[in-house]
Amino acid sequence: MAEPARTFRAKPDRPAPAQTVGAVGWMRRNLFSSPANTALTLIGAYFAYWVIATVVDWALLDAVWQAETRRECLDAVGRSGACWPGVFVWFENLIYGLYPKDQIWRVNAGFALLVAWLVPLWLERVRSKVAIGVSAVLAYPVLASYFFLGGDKGFLWSASIAAALTAFVWVWATAIAERRTGRTLGELVLARADALDADPRHHRRLLFYTAAAGWLVAYALVALWYLPYVTTNDWGGLFLTLVISGIGITFSLPAGVVLALGRRSELPVIRLICTVFIELFRSVPLITILFMFTTMLPLFLPVGVEVDQLVRAIVAVCLFASAYMAEVVRGGLQAIPRGQYEAAAAMGLGYWQATRLIVMPQALKIMIPTIVSTFIGFFKDTTLVSIIGLFDLLNMARAIGEDTDWLGLFIEPFFVVTLIYFAFCFAMSQYSLNLERRLDTGQRS
Amino acid sequence: MLAIPRRRAPRRGWAAFVNNAQVRGVVYQVATAGLLVALIWWFAANAAANMAERGMSAGFDFLGVAAGFGISFTLIPYQEGDTYFRVFLVGIANTLLVAVIAVVAASLLGLVVGLARLSDNWLIRTLARAYVEVLRNTPLLLQIIAWFFGVFNLLPRPRQSVEWFGLFALNNRGFYMPAPVPEAGFGLVLVALVAGVAGAVALARWARRRQERTGEPFPAIPAGAALIVGAPVVAYILLGGPLAWDLPALAGFNYQGGMSVPPSFCALVVALAVYTSCFIAEIVRSGIQSVGKGQHEAAASLNIKPSWTMRLIILPQALRVIIPPLISQYLNITKNSSLAIAVGFPDLVSVWMNTSLNQSGQAISIVAMTMAFYCAASLSVSALLNAYNRRVMLKER
Amino acid sequence: MRRQTLLFSAAAFAALGLAAEAGAQETLAQVKERGHLNCQVGLPTPGFYALADDGTWSGIDVDMCRAVSAAVFDDPDRIEYQSVTSAVRFTSLANGESDMLSRTTTWTAVRDTQLGMTFAGVNFYDGQGFMVPKDLGVTSVNELDGATVCVLTGTTTELNLADYFRANDLAFEPVTNENVNVIVETYLGGGCDAYTNDKSGLAARRSAFPNPDDHVILPETISKEPLGPVVREGDENWSDIVRWVLLGMIEAEEVGLTSANLDDMMESENPKVRRILGVEGNIGEGLGLPNDFMVDVLRSVGNYGEVYERNIGADTPIGLERAGTLNAQWTEGGILYAMPFR
Repeated sequence: MAEPARTFRAKPDRPAPAQTVGAVGWMRRNLFSSPANTALTLIGAYFAYWVIATVVDWALLDAVWQAETRRECLDAVGRSGACWPGVFVWFENLIYGLYPKDQIWRVNAGFALLVAWLVPLWLERVRSKVAIGVSAVLAYPVLASYFFLGGDKGFLWSASIAAALTAFVWVWATAIAERRTGRTLGELVLARADALDADPRHHRRLLFYTAAAGWLVAYALVALWYLPYVTTNDWGGLFLTLVISGIGITFSLPAGVVLALGRRSELPVIRLICTVFIELFRSVPLITILFMFTTMLPLFLPVGVEVDQLVRAIVAVCLFASAYMAEVVRGGLQAIPRGQYEAAAAMGLGYWQATRLIVMPQALKIMIPTIVSTFIGFFKDTTLVSIIGLFDLLNMARAIGEDTDWLGLFIEPFFVVTLIYFAFCFAMSQYSLNLERRLDTGQRS
Repeated sequence: MLAIPRRRAPRRGWAAFVNNAQVRGVVYQVATAGLLVALIWWFAANAAANMAERGMSAGFDFLGVAAGFGISFTLIPYQEGDTYFRVFLVGIANTLLVAVIAVVAASLLGLVVGLARLSDNWLIRTLARAYVEVLRNTPLLLQIIAWFFGVFNLLPRPRQSVEWFGLFALNNRGFYMPAPVPEAGFGLVLVALVAGVAGAVALARWARRRQERTGEPFPAIPAGAALIVGAPVVAYILLGGPLAWDLPALAGFNYQGGMSVPPSFCALVVALAVYTSCFIAEIVRSGIQSVGKGQHEAAASLNIKPSWTMRLIILPQALRVIIPPLISQYLNITKNSSLAIAVGFPDLVSVWMNTSLNQSGQAISIVAMTMAFYCAASLSVSALLNAYNRRVMLKER
Repeated sequence: MRRQTLLFSAAAFAALGLAAEAGAQETLAQVKERGHLNCQVGLPTPGFYALADDGTWSGIDVDMCRAVSAAVFDDPDRIEYQSVTSAVRFTSLANGESDMLSRTTTWTAVRDTQLGMTFAGVNFYDGQGFMVPKDLGVTSVNELDGATVCVLTGTTTELNLADYFRANDLAFEPVTNENVNVIVETYLGGGCDAYTNDKSGLAARRSAFPNPDDHVILPETISKEPLGPVVREGDENWSDIVRWVLLGMIEAEEVGLTSANLDDMMESENPKVRRILGVEGNIGEGLGLPNDFMVDVLRSVGNYGEVYERNIGADTPIGLERAGTLNAQWTEGGILYAMPFR
């Protein structure tokens, strides 16, 4: 008896209860699921409203946008609204400090150059990223410091600038070559050499000649190039903040690696020295280190030696940052399983080879989120240089309140500075999250 | 530790000697140490020459000289005529006070925010996230100043103070509270308190041993708490209340009497606590999330009560992840308290490394003393907490 | 690692060795060789060392620097201004970073004798005063018993405050900060009952309050604050230069020499004028400067009176009336008294 095959047919879904779908449903689930939750929601909403309304009222609705002096602002709205014109007038100084107005393009050019230098790192199909990164760390500062400082340059200085310029040209040439042909610039040059001369011994020489020719051209250009000298006393604002934190961050990474390796070294004297250094600088607040370097460094140098105030602050920040970075790196090194070291040794790799090829690449990858958050910390910490009197962002903001026209204007510049810091730090932390997600190879559960 | 077996080179002669790992090790170390000693010697020689040139002295004689400036908040007694050494002690006491209070507040706040970030309520979760992101990404120095001007300086003036029960008062000069004034016999109350603590510890030990032996649990925590609170309270009542309270009262320009903390202190502590709580919240969140789901399920299948699951299963494991970064946050609070200078709270850096240094000109001694204090504080705290950490860690198998 | 360390320290030693050579000379020679004067001022303060948004400095103390620059270089603007916090002002001068310090520094015995520096003179006589809100109803400092007082830290003001209250058996609670704006905001917010500072500063600040008339400056002056330029100890020639440039400006005002009538006065028969202008005598030579160094100073900076009126006088936002105060010429009831320029 074969019954006709009955296929199961689902009845059409009934619509979900109106209260569980859409905005209402979402709110019921997420905001008002229980009386306690409802209370929390209401309190939270009121609090959020109050904070936002207060800030918006002060900063936008009640604010004064046009005035010649602070007195005009005060006469118009008193202190209930912000007085922005003072910040506008000084805005350029907030960014560039006292850098001569007609030279500001140099600061912009310097930072544009950094971006241009780093762009190939984000391009796909570029192979020499490590070399590009190293060149950015080693050569960029030379070029940037001439942009920022200017002045007369002797032979050595010109030669280094020319070398840096050559490096920059190489970065872009090789990046373009690699994207077009998949081969590095060096390989292209060598291929060319193959066609000309079969003797491979001459090839390396050709590479050298090419580089030397590039350098000579660059040197000729640099010799013609002159920028007026700008003293570091005139550096300030966001520019100075970026210079200090940039140098601190760039220096701290290699120094931190060295210190961390030293602390884990088998050689007791080196271990002791590194440990003492790290612990000393980590246990003392940055501000005391800054104070020490500003008041005492000149005492420890030969009679009559002058060290720039800025240099002193940078040295202090660098040492402090290296000690912190060393501990971050040590944490990364400790996370590498012992087996990796042993396998490297079994392959016949020596200490430096094992460190460079096996341990560090893995450790650095694990450390990236921590490194970025440490960088954010350093960036925020640069506010402390204002306490020793450098004209960083914060002190520049303070100078506005000492301008005869804007005497007492204090909260507004301060608010703007906070926004600038927030923008930078937030961008960095979001980037780090993004990086973390991309690099997560699933090794950690 | 890193242990890569080094090759023993079978070669002979100079090359063998140079390539010998041990020889190299010794050479590296001797060279580094020699360099370091040379550097230190050079610094010292320069310092001596410089100071001779400028007629400066580096001794500690100035510590006995009268400082001559006022300090706005002192935990230990201080007057304008007291010595510089006294100023140093005042600075240390103030720094420690800020650090201790901020540590406690930051821990509590961090726990709350950390739990809020795991909340089921979308709004609370989002607010907690905004709180963490905004505060974590702005410099602490700015936050301290913002708290000072945005909140504590805007509080009512003394005549319009907010008062609670005539005991506490809050205005823009500070927070005022009654001060205990011990009378005769109060020492016995303290003795009772110590006895109560000792009793509670003993009780906890006994309870644990009994549980290990028989499996019978004993509510050691409430009983211990009762002992610690009860013993001094009973002693206090029996002795007829040997403690008077000095109440703050409005007199002249401001409240007089009682204990008080200035707004700069409040701003500093609140800013430190709030700033650090963001980091602690993230630590707590990741700590709790790091305990595998299987642990919850295993505990449930063993029929362990939910409250016990948290206390006996989840927290001990989470703590293992939480403690090390927490240590460094606590140390950060101590170090960050040096930013007190921004709102003029007289902590060690502000009163010693800034004011005293400026008035006495004794840079080397003052800087050395300041750094010595921070080093000692940091190293001892980290040693203490590391010891605890090692104890927790040992349970890992 | 070793090689890097070695290289680094070798480079450092070499660089420092070179720099050390340069340090051993006399200040005047050093300044001339460098081509500019390193003049230390404080963090921007209106009237004394004010910073404008175009990056230029002005003020009575800045004009002191400019006068020295004019005397040395015949150009008032060959200066690098170093704006540093008061905490490091003396170390910065002592270790040779600054050639002179011109930043409302009070001349005290300890500073003069123990900190390795020499005061070259006084360019402004100030005194510490108190400002209170009018509605507090206080008319004298002596009524401030138990008050909370806002004071700038790291200055003599802080010490004077403590001294005065101790001497008069008054109690007070200080609220300190190293940032004037913070102090002023605290005061305006009611965080303290009174605000103390040098009277010049009080007046300047009050002019920028939302309601200046709601605040009064109490009549008492509780301290002497002779403010003046400072140089390193041990270089007599340099301190003489700074001192006599200042005295020359004061003397020029006394004899009626201004930047405007300078050219006419060159033919003056008055021996005092002739000596100042270097037409007679050899005062400049004695200082290692050209004899007509004051001509350059007066032409580009002006005499003391001009400097005063331009920066802090009654017509400026600072608005400090000069007549009848200590800063008037001795001939007009003040104590500004230049040593004879001969």
